[in-house]
Amino acid sequence: MVEGIIIQGLIKGGTYALLAVGFSLIFGVARMINLAHTCFYMLAAYGIYYFAKELEMPLAAAVVLSLLATTVIGILTYRLFIDRVREHHVTVMLITLAMAMIFQEFMIMAFSSEPLGTPSFVSGYWTIIGVKVSYQNLLTFGIALAVLVCVWALLSKTRLGVAIRATAQDSEIANLMGINVRRILLITMALAAALAAIAGAVVTPTLTLVPTMWTSPLVMIMAIVVLGGLGSVKGSFIGAFIIGFIEVLVVFLLPGGAFLKGAFALLVMVLILLIRPEGLFGVAFEEERL
Amino acid sequence: MLRRLLRDFQGDVLAIPGRLLALIFFVVLFFIPLFLQGSSGSYYLRIFIFANMYVIFAVSWDLLSGYTGQLNFGHALFFGVAAYTTALLNIHLGWQPWATIPIGALAGVIAGLIVCLPALRLRGPYLALVTLAFPLILLGIIFAFTDFTGGELGISGLDRISDSRTTDYYISVAVMIVSVMIMWKLTDAGSSIIRTGIVFHAIREDEIAARASGINTIRYKLLAFAVAGFFAGIAGAFHAHFMRIAGPSNLELVLSFQVIIWTVFGGITSIYGPVVGVYILFPLMEFLRAAPEVRYLIFAGIVVIMLLFMPEGIAVWVRDKIERECPRCKLSNMAFRKTCRACNTYLYEHAGD
Amino acid sequence: MLKKLIPLLVVCSLLVLLIVPSCGGEEEDNVIKIGVIGPMQYVQGEHHWYGATMAAEEINDAGGIDVDGEMYTIELIKADSNEMTSPTDAAAAMEKLITVDGAQFVVGGFRTESVFPMIEAAMDYDTIFLGCGAATESLCQLAVDDYDRYKYWFRVTPFNSTKLVSNSLMTLGMAGGIMQQGLGLEGPLQVAILAEQAEWADAMVAAYQAYVPAMLGMEVVGTWRPSATATDLNAELTAIEDSGAHLILTILSGPVGIPYARQLGELEIPAASVGINVEAQKDGFWDATEGYGNYETTLNTYAEGIALTSKTAAFVEEFIERFDETPTYNAGTYDAIYLLKEVIESTGTLDADTIVEELEGIDYIGAGGRIVFMGTDTTTPHDVTYGPGYTTGIATQWQDGEMKAVWPNLGVGEWEGVTYEGVVMWQIPDRVIAYYTQD
Repeated sequence: MVEGIIIQGLIKGGTYALLAVGFSLIFGVARMINLAHTCFYMLAAYGIYYFAKELEMPLAAAVVLSLLATTVIGILTYRLFIDRVREHHVTVMLITLAMAMIFQEFMIMAFSSEPLGTPSFVSGYWTIIGVKVSYQNLLTFGIALAVLVCVWALLSKTRLGVAIRATAQDSEIANLMGINVRRILLITMALAAALAAIAGAVVTPTLTLVPTMWTSPLVMIMAIVVLGGLGSVKGSFIGAFIIGFIEVLVVFLLPGGAFLKGAFALLVMVLILLIRPEGLFGVAFEEERL
Repeated sequence: MLRRLLRDFQGDVLAIPGRLLALIFFVVLFFIPLFLQGSSGSYYLRIFIFANMYVIFAVSWDLLSGYTGQLNFGHALFFGVAAYTTALLNIHLGWQPWATIPIGALAGVIAGLIVCLPALRLRGPYLALVTLAFPLILLGIIFAFTDFTGGELGISGLDRISDSRTTDYYISVAVMIVSVMIMWKLTDAGSSIIRTGIVFHAIREDEIAARASGINTIRYKLLAFAVAGFFAGIAGAFHAHFMRIAGPSNLELVLSFQVIIWTVFGGITSIYGPVVGVYILFPLMEFLRAAPEVRYLIFAGIVVIMLLFMPEGIAVWVRDKIERECPRCKLSNMAFRKTCRACNTYLYEHAGD
Repeated sequence: MLKKLIPLLVVCSLLVLLIVPSCGGEEEDNVIKIGVIGPMQYVQGEHHWYGATMAAEEINDAGGIDVDGEMYTIELIKADSNEMTSPTDAAAAMEKLITVDGAQFVVGGFRTESVFPMIEAAMDYDTIFLGCGAATESLCQLAVDDYDRYKYWFRVTPFNSTKLVSNSLMTLGMAGGIMQQGLGLEGPLQVAILAEQAEWADAMVAAYQAYVPAMLGMEVVGTWRPSATATDLNAELTAIEDSGAHLILTILSGPVGIPYARQLGELEIPAASVGINVEAQKDGFWDATEGYGNYETTLNTYAEGIALTSKTAAFVEEFIERFDETPTYNAGTYDAIYLLKEVIESTGTLDADTIVEELEGIDYIGAGGRIVFMGTDTTTPHDVTYGPGYTTGIATQWQDGEMKAVWPNLGVGEWEGVTYEGVVMWQIPDRVIAYYTQD
């Protein structure tokens, strides 16, 4: 049982981490709660279904096309709908929520509300210390780690990363230092959408496609990001594994209450925040009067 | 005495277009049932009854999140707690609606105070996301103790508020108007009687400065949560009795987000914003039943487009068009006036050229 | 100032005029309006509509309904209840259907939490509502306490959830028997219960925990309760495999049924799955699980080529031909509308109270079974009667891309001699055979 908990928890955490890091990034840079974030995850999944199953393209081509398309949609969403009302935080949040509804309705119109399946990249499973793990899940975990390392390298080793972090800390000063803040915001948005899309691409083969698939991970990643500290990529990463492990623990230790896994994870988030109001790795916004 | 009242009425209501519109709106509400007769009329009255309940709910969110700045993503908690309390009291103890609704609202107050505990330490988005969690945790509890809560089915078979739809309607209108007026007064920063309004503003704008000015911000935050919980609770309890069921959908995320959509669409931090928002968007959803396939799409599309052009909400946008605040004495004036009605200052900078 | 006020007043009065409905409308002669209400964005609601359209068109083509010598045609009114997301919406949709659109009878309904307020709305207007989707027993208990108010509600399909328990247990017994024989397993079989978190499942879980050991001599190793919309059951399935279960007894109606079946197959969990999995009743199941849903077994109502009554075959064939899908039980609206035709013709009136009395005594052979409503002296008045000779239901198993009926079957899992033509043998999943024959 312990082996099962460890392995399932790692896999769950890896997926959450992919989603949460992008959400955290865009919040850190633009101070924007993007409720449409997991929609990009949904769009990428439907994209793969459309290209691979309806247009019968090779899977690799479908994945690449779908990732590109989703990123472009992310950029367009930002440019057309969010950029011009950026000053009004609650309005931005609401627009992203409405956009999420619009994406969902489009998917319902195009693919109906019925569950659909996408093919696995690799089928079969591997037995690790007595626990069956499908290759797809291993792939998910591997890609999650690889992508997160790339993101970390980008943020800490490149000029662009420095610019992103500078904007996150104080966009006005960053602007004065000659950083094109609007461009940075756009790039961050594209990056976040791409991360969500990658998560969608690697995860969906093991799951089911339904147009409402964006809601439940959205709540969980918001919990993760808050738990880890808003805007902290490291915090989101660790928070993702904490929440992932809690969910798996509930399923294993309280089988009759498996449906409570979400509620338990949220409860833990609330408790941790009571002790550390700024999250595990968050910066206290005391001086920054939001 | 009467003359003074009349003068106040002329000066404070008739002279300000926004308030005049509000007055007309309230008067129209009282005459609506006259136009809606027969069985199809009761369907339309139902829409208005729901709209009235949601108005109270949305305005209470505006008081808490708009005025006091305590961004609440889980406002459905208060609604749901009150609905369930009311339902349990009504079903198990057989109490009548006139008793259960106020107690339900008090349950909303308690829920508000419980949520407020973490709120005292948390700010901005942290608070928003923690409040988001509360109704979902409660949903988990409800599903875990189905014997008591009815689980997915909820608690059904509650007593009606009254036997006739028209009576229900008038009760809902009266409760709505009284609630909205109370909350409007509580948040009125210019009020010389109650100072909660200005304190709420201060907490939102700069909590540290407010504390530095000797205001016990904790007490006022508790007050804001309690008041919001109370009125959201009234809405929830009323809703339960009208629908005759209290169920998990009273706590769902959809409801929490719905209230934000209504308020921001109408205009946050304005009290009348959520009223306008609910009265436009809720009937719109009913109207869109004609096209079920694109119902949500059109709804979301309208919200996006309106917000792009009126990011502060439709009611605020309209107010800015028809009202003009005097730069010197801060009195509201009709927008077509050149000078202030009280101090004769020019309202527009270049008006005198 | 007055000048400015006038346009304002005009706008306000216009608004009022807009809100006030254009009441009245021309009353057409000789039309019976029947409302079809359901979650129209989902297969359940679609099939409500398909079944009803088929019945209405057939009846109208044959001349309509004979009401006391005059011929009436049926006009169907479609109402999207949006009940999956909002019970409030569902109640409003029902009220609009009756008051504004003028539906005289209503068929449909699916999610119990929404059907409750829908019943309330229909009862407010003394409108007959024939349920074709929600299985919860308590829906039919309303009439026990207040018969005069709730007598207009009937359940045409499915039979209530307690009867689903007995069907599931019989299917489980059959599968267990075949497995013991085929694999030479010794000792009591181990059963894991996997039930979604929903009210209707709670009572069933409790019943299973008692009856599986008592009636079938099997052991329950644990109960897992994922959410009905969960998309990942990896953890649950790993835990079930750890428990050593031979059989998984499912109670799933939500979309969770797809990832469950898919992951079960992909991870080759050595346990056979029987019970209720509503997703596996749909034709899209095979594709949605990428074929991993092979051997998934579920209770069902219709299957291609299975004749429950003399009318089934024609109905199912016609349905598949027109809509390119196998009907789910929600297409029982077909029977519901024929039922209305029967009673309207035999009473010669459209008066709801008379029709209710007639419905209480009806004995009608429909496409889904013989419909007789339970009496007012029972605990669930107006519920459809279940049992051999009445409505029984079937179980189907996915066998290499085809949905085959596997129960009730003679010889294995005997049930008072009930069987239908076209029933085949239940198959042990390959992955289970491979697991138990390798060591």
